[in-house]
Amino acid sequence: MAAPADKFSRLSALRPTRNLPARPAALREPCEEDTLARLLGASVRRNRFGEHLAVSNWYSSPEFSAPSAVALEILSRTRDEVQSGRTRDALSDPEKWLFLDTETTGLAGGTGTYAFLIGLAWWDAGGLQVEQFFMRDFAEEHSILCELAARVAERPVLVTYNGKTFDWPLLHSRFTMTRSIAPPKLAAHLDLLHPARAVWKLRLGSVRLSDLERHVLDPISLGWSRDDDTTSADIPQFYFDYLRGGPPEPLLGIAKHNQMDLRGLAALYCKLNHLIGTELPEHGSVDGRDLFGLSRYLQRRGHGARAQTACTQALDFGLPHEVRPQARRELALHAKRSGEHARAAELWHEIVAGDPAEGVYACEQLAIHYERRVKDDVRALEFAQLALAELRKARWLSSRTPAGHYAGAFPGAFPSTRSLRTSPAKESRLEKSLLHRIARLEQRCAQTSTPPRPLLDLR
Amino acid sequence: MSESLAVRSARESVAVAIPDALALSAVRDVLDVFVARDRDGEMLTAVRHFPAREAQWAEFPAWVRADLRAVYQAKGIRRPYTHQAAAAEAVHTGKNVVIVTPTASGKTLCYNLPVLNEILEKPDSRALYLFPTKALAQDQLAELHDLNVRLDDRFGVFTYDGDTASDARKAIREKSHIVLTNPDMLHTGILPHHTKWTRLFENLRYIVIDELHTYRGVFGSHLCNVLRRLKRIANFYGRDPQFICCSATIGNPGELATRLLEEEVEVLNANGAPAGEKTFVFYNPPVVNRALGIRRSYINESSRVAQEFLKREMQTMVFANSRLHTELLLTYLQQANPHTLGKPDTIRGYRGGYLPGERREIERGLREGRIRGVVSTSALELGIDVGSLDTVVMAGYPGTIAGTWQRAGRAGRRSGSSCAVLVASSAPLDQYIVRHPDYFFGNTPEQAFIQPDNLEILLNHLKCAAFELPITPEERFGDVDLPDLCARLAEAGFLHRAGENYHWTHEAYPADTVSLRSVTSDNFVIIDITGLPNVIGEVDFPSALTSVHEKAIYMHGGTQFHVEHLDFKERKAYVKKVDVDYYTDAIRYTQVRILEAAATSPVGARHAAPRLGEVPTSTSALIPNASSHSHGDVLVRSQVIGFKKIKLFTNENIGDGRLELPENEMHTTAYWITLERPMLDSLLFSVSERQSGMFGLLHALESVATLLLMCDCRDLGTAIGERPPAPNSESATSTDNASPDFVGAQHAAPQLGTPELSTIDEFAPTRLRDVTSSNTKEFFEPNLYLFDAYPGGIGFSEPLFRAHQLLVRQTRELIAACACEQGCPSCVGPAGDLAPRAKEAALAILNRLCA
Repeated sequence: MAAPADKFSRLSALRPTRNLPARPAALREPCEEDTLARLLGASVRRNRFGEHLAVSNWYSSPEFSAPSAVALEILSRTRDEVQSGRTRDALSDPEKWLFLDTETTGLAGGTGTYAFLIGLAWWDAGGLQVEQFFMRDFAEEHSILCELAARVAERPVLVTYNGKTFDWPLLHSRFTMTRSIAPPKLAAHLDLLHPARAVWKLRLGSVRLSDLERHVLDPISLGWSRDDDTTSADIPQFYFDYLRGGPPEPLLGIAKHNQMDLRGLAALYCKLNHLIGTELPEHGSVDGRDLFGLSRYLQRRGHGARAQTACTQALDFGLPHEVRPQARRELALHAKRSGEHARAAELWHEIVAGDPAEGVYACEQLAIHYERRVKDDVRALEFAQLALAELRKARWLSSRTPAGHYAGAFPGAFPSTRSLRTSPAKESRLEKSLLHRIARLEQRCAQTSTPPRPLLDLR
Repeated sequence: MSESLAVRSARESVAVAIPDALALSAVRDVLDVFVARDRDGEMLTAVRHFPAREAQWAEFPAWVRADLRAVYQAKGIRRPYTHQAAAAEAVHTGKNVVIVTPTASGKTLCYNLPVLNEILEKPDSRALYLFPTKALAQDQLAELHDLNVRLDDRFGVFTYDGDTASDARKAIREKSHIVLTNPDMLHTGILPHHTKWTRLFENLRYIVIDELHTYRGVFGSHLCNVLRRLKRIANFYGRDPQFICCSATIGNPGELATRLLEEEVEVLNANGAPAGEKTFVFYNPPVVNRALGIRRSYINESSRVAQEFLKREMQTMVFANSRLHTELLLTYLQQANPHTLGKPDTIRGYRGGYLPGERREIERGLREGRIRGVVSTSALELGIDVGSLDTVVMAGYPGTIAGTWQRAGRAGRRSGSSCAVLVASSAPLDQYIVRHPDYFFGNTPEQAFIQPDNLEILLNHLKCAAFELPITPEERFGDVDLPDLCARLAEAGFLHRAGENYHWTHEAYPADTVSLRSVTSDNFVIIDITGLPNVIGEVDFPSALTSVHEKAIYMHGGTQFHVEHLDFKERKAYVKKVDVDYYTDAIRYTQVRILEAAATSPVGARHAAPRLGEVPTSTSALIPNASSHSHGDVLVRSQVIGFKKIKLFTNENIGDGRLELPENEMHTTAYWITLERPMLDSLLFSVSERQSGMFGLLHALESVATLLLMCDCRDLGTAIGERPPAPNSESATSTDNASPDFVGAQHAAPQLGTPELSTIDEFAPTRLRDVTSSNTKEFFEPNLYLFDAYPGGIGFSEPLFRAHQLLVRQTRELIAACACEQGCPSCVGPAGDLAPRAKEAALAILNRLCA
């Protein structure tokens, strides 16, 4: 028989998936066991499930700012009104808030991913109290979960950044796996990822917390720097290395990273609170793009009137060239929705005159406007025909570039020229509806036998 | 032999002519046509008639609730068959059972009755149903939905698989009393997320495994490990679920179930379902050239046979053994039955690469009778409900007795008269079966084997298990102690021991990298770019290299596509519609490197090597060590190096092309025969005859091996390679005594290599027909390999090593008994591919091996 050692050496199941040493480069001395606690400034905490490390720190920044009622209302609104109401009631007392952020052994989720560091924070004495629980080994997991359950019981309103889809389900799963500690019940869960993405995605592209800190939160007044921050991608491996006897120093970086994330989260709340809570910001105090994002967020959360104001302001404050047509179009839609049809028509006329790329949609809207509101079938027909012509022109243009034909089949092979185009299915639906409208209008015009006027000169 | 066959077939056709005239008239008409063609009496080697069988009824067991009984009665099931009642009763008493029944005997009632009864009694109870394919789960969903509607929506039943919308998943996890899924989804989607499934696991009462016989070989070995993980998780939530399995008829259903579940299982193999009468015909395509042993193409003959039935308005299913043949048969049959404009095609294809929607539509069409003929791969062999068909035509032996019966069972599901025809190909196995009908009709079907403790498979599942729950020191997988394996996984960085338990310490999600069915979980999508880009199908990684390489003709739904571009990195193949009169066949080269011989037959002294030119007579005592045989671990590298264009209908080779595709590599186990140089030198054959003889020998050897192992021919790979100069001690001693001319020859050998093959020097063609040049270099001391076509091996090599004598003897008999003169596809391979005296050479080598 083959020598077992050789048999094992050939198994691909035992081959590391990436070129990482199974053992860390350096091993810590046995006497260094306490070094980690010293480094972190942590104390060993015991409960009925065992022990773990706990770190407590108080920070004066960010400063507590009272939640504005309007902002809370908007941030907590969901499709389910009953639930929104319950969340709102729970949110009304900031004493019950608990900011939460975890560091985990991976992003894959599932039952094999552990949260080895649980960071919590709450408002205290005008500043932020941060508490972190760290498990030095898997055996300490139950004890940190027990501690978390106790904190959540005291402050059952969770505030997170992407915690609704990641941290909390993961922790919930960890609780289930203990079979002895019940997952604590939350009174409310406020996740800031969605509003942050809505507001800043347009301007920043990436809305990772560190990016928001740098570009939105004024890092200087926050009072910390991410200069030597640990990269998120390295965190699991640093922890695995430590488990296998590696040095504790990298973990200090992880703990710092977690503290900054928690403080950043609290600061982000203050920022959103201010932005959403301020009805009419002063000119120059907010970037136009952020206002435009805010406007769309407000619209989705059912605040049409404020959304319209924000959109108008965004155009006033200045938007980049490529966003303006979209903003104008939304503004026209806002006007239409609030019944200001004349204003909407005026905006569509501006769009048609200014930007042919946006013309198809505006022409269609004008056709509808003239047919339904003004009852001017002839003008309606003109705009419907114009819309059809623009649509076909755009399609012809894009079919002349290879991207139009093969863009789906060879992603990345051709530079994208899709900005002018919507999906082919959408286009053909639009074309159908236009043809239908034209036929109807033509029939009616023929009946009234008004001779069709030539297309109006738009330029 | 041909005389006795003719006599028998004549006698049997007379026997058939007697039964009641009306029902059999169409079948008899067709048989008459065949008999008329069968002038030599060699074509119909068997015509067996199976009379109709009466139903045997029982009463619903007393514990069945009145409402459930009423629902079944409303569906027209007034009483269960005896086997259904017995199965339900056994389940009710709490036993694990495996129910063995042929196709269409009402097996779903066997498990639905006790499961639904339990759920109606205790609405907290949950059941998990496992089906090998998504399509089967859909089929069962329809049945359970119907029952549920009749029960006023008293329970929740959903499928949970890759097609389930992500926003529906949460509701399904909460509300589903019965979850219908497949092993793959259980493995990647449910077990690693068991905390989301607490409702299911805390109340898991029954696990139903349908089509148990499909879980053999690699798939079965994986499933066994998935079940080990499932039971672990169920235990974690305090449950010990009961198993209900259903299997088609195989040789060892009880043993397979016991190995898969690793628990005691009661076997129930009675059958009380009625069956219509059936005629089973073995059809051997007529010989065209006796000397060359060439028969008419079995594909053409199958199409002809199917056409005879279609012509008489009989709904017909044709089974082919490969995608290519499915498409070829589809093309032929569609040409013979041109579809009327404005109406959908009445002849359709059905196989793995078709998209789910298309498949559902075909299934419906078959049930409703709109589709008159369907050409399918094994995809329709499983219990998808397509209604009853009149005829089944099998183009080629499906490879196993069990598989043949299953396909035949597609015809005449309940009543009426039906017919199944097996059209033999020239492959040795096919020829053996049709010429020995008693072997087929008299033997029990194959046994199914699994090797769940294959280290590669076991370790991969151990990783998944650790991800799901930390592994405790007392845990075992079957008979395997886990701590030692865990320690090795810890050393490789996957696990970490904390206290006594091993925990998962890796960022990756291990289940994603383990495919239960094939070597890789990769597949290629096929995009038609004739017009707007449109995804028309998909193909798994291993088949992609041979079927959608650049310039290949890919056939889909009878339409030919030319592969324009294969984007290997993105796993996409871009094809365009074409209309050409050829198809392509890929040429694969393989290299085997021995890593470690586990055992080698004793090699004695070589001093007895004969003088050159000595002619051996019947005994070869002069050469005691003509060969040795071994088994052990090997590295198999293979590469598709080119392709041939083969003309439709005539099968002429009309050109070829070269390809540069990445090579594939796998570690597996192999059995091999080493032919010693002195023995080869003693044969009075030219170099090319010897070469040809070896390929021919291997061709026949593989067939006999699959017969002996009762495995699928796809589970074994073959290769010829040079015996390595092996520094290991065993070989070293054997080469020590090399004679001077032995050394000289070793130096001379490489010079015979042709320059054009030098770039792929180490590789050798797998099939003789793939030899791209007639003067390929000679193997000096060749090893003939039969390897397990799965990484890590699946346990065939050692049995083959042990059965070496039998294997060699039967191979010799197969070749010696073949009536052809110079080789034919049924023994050593088609004569056209061989050197003139290849068959003789193969026999000469075998004579030495048997000595």
